[in-house]
Amino acid sequence: MSSRYADRSGFARVVILVPFLGLLLSGCGINNIPTDEEQAKAKWSDVQNQYQRRADLIPNLVETVKGYAQQERSVLEAVTNARARATSVQVNADTITDPEAFKKFEDAQAQLSGALGRLLAVSESYPDLKSNQNFLALQSQLEGTENRIAVARRDYIEAVRVYNTELRTFPGVIWASTLYKSNKPMQEFTVAEDVKQPPQVKF
Amino acid sequence: MPRRATLPVIAWLCLVCAAAAQSLSFPALTGRVVDEAGLLDAAARATLTQSLAELEQKTTDQLVVVTLKSLQGTSIEDYGYQLGRRWQIGQKDKGNGVLLIVAPNERKVRIEVGYGLEGTLTDAVSRLIIENSMLPRFKVGDYAGGIKRGVEDIIQVLSGDAQEWQNRAAQGVSPDSVQPAPAGAVWLAIIAILVGVGFLIFCVVWGGAICRAILQFLFLMLLSGGRSSSRDYSSDSGSFRGGGGSFGGGGASGSW
Repeated sequence: MSSRYADRSGFARVVILVPFLGLLLSGCGINNIPTDEEQAKAKWSDVQNQYQRRADLIPNLVETVKGYAQQERSVLEAVTNARARATSVQVNADTITDPEAFKKFEDAQAQLSGALGRLLAVSESYPDLKSNQNFLALQSQLEGTENRIAVARRDYIEAVRVYNTELRTFPGVIWASTLYKSNKPMQEFTVAEDVKQPPQVKF
Repeated sequence: MPRRATLPVIAWLCLVCAAAAQSLSFPALTGRVVDEAGLLDAAARATLTQSLAELEQKTTDQLVVVTLKSLQGTSIEDYGYQLGRRWQIGQKDKGNGVLLIVAPNERKVRIEVGYGLEGTLTDAVSRLIIENSMLPRFKVGDYAGGIKRGVEDIIQVLSGDAQEWQNRAAQGVSPDSVQPAPAGAVWLAIIAILVGVGFLIFCVVWGGAICRAILQFLFLMLLSGGRSSSRDYSSDSGSFRGGGGSFGGGGASGSW
């Protein structure tokens, strides 16, 4: 009786365990790395979107300010140049794992933030400009965009944190070292503080 | 300590730590008007709630007025989008939620606009509402009046003109088409359930250390999964709840 029992149990084990193994694997997070990766990439394109939106607002802003404050040529030129530089540096979703390209992107955007902050500070001293409806609208759009950038950056940082953690903790580390060998940790933003806040006006 | 007791203890510790890690605290969503700072009297709250409920009936947009005692040291922009996400104001598929946030102690006001309404209630329009309708009244201490005017303006913008409004209503009324689940997915689910039940029977009949370990693991997974669903959606939130909308920092702020 014991041998028949063993035979039956051996067969039953195979029949039951094979499909269960598949379920168990997905329960153990075999899908987590690709899922988190896609999530982080989506958040990254959000960040890029918002930066692009800011870049799109700038020519209009520069034109408006020019009409009232032509003597601020150097500040206006700085903004235009910084914008050109920022839009020429593109990091797409596949190269966020490249620290150098990422740093370049970040620096260019930080420079643009600085130049924009100066432009807005300068425009404070032109009452006509400040009360111009077009300028007010652009200013509030710019502020809103800076705020959206801050939110998108924080969402991206969070998504990257989840993804990087998955790569380095159990059980993700098993899959990272076997199935997903080519997956590398993604980059996070470092100079957060100055870009986080909308450009402040200082006197 | 017996070895079998250590796992549940570790799991419990993890849960406690996760709960303690949340830094900002948010008021409970007790209705369409959450007056934590006590700027409105009962009559004003009732009128506001009435018009906010009407707005949702007409357009499905959810507008919530909230006054805060404190921003807890962060900016109103930072607090605003997190509060909106926490409360999930707006319908899930449209993201059409708006928060009107007043923090009298920090002298800050913000219109926080959900993803789906960023095109209607733009940053510039929000700014105009704050500058023209709200701030002048806040400056003389008329909080109730400022909030009332702000809400009226927002409702006006969200309702649009009659034609636009009808178009939006037509969009909103169309019942969410119930997507038939693909047959493959149903079969997969059935197989999964059968396999799960089979496994349970298998465990009960043959037992074994591995089975016990797996069952323990599953139990812990259930424990940790259950935590998120048992969040503090307090029962006193009445009939009003967020529809699952999300926020991405749209809107405008002002200070007085």
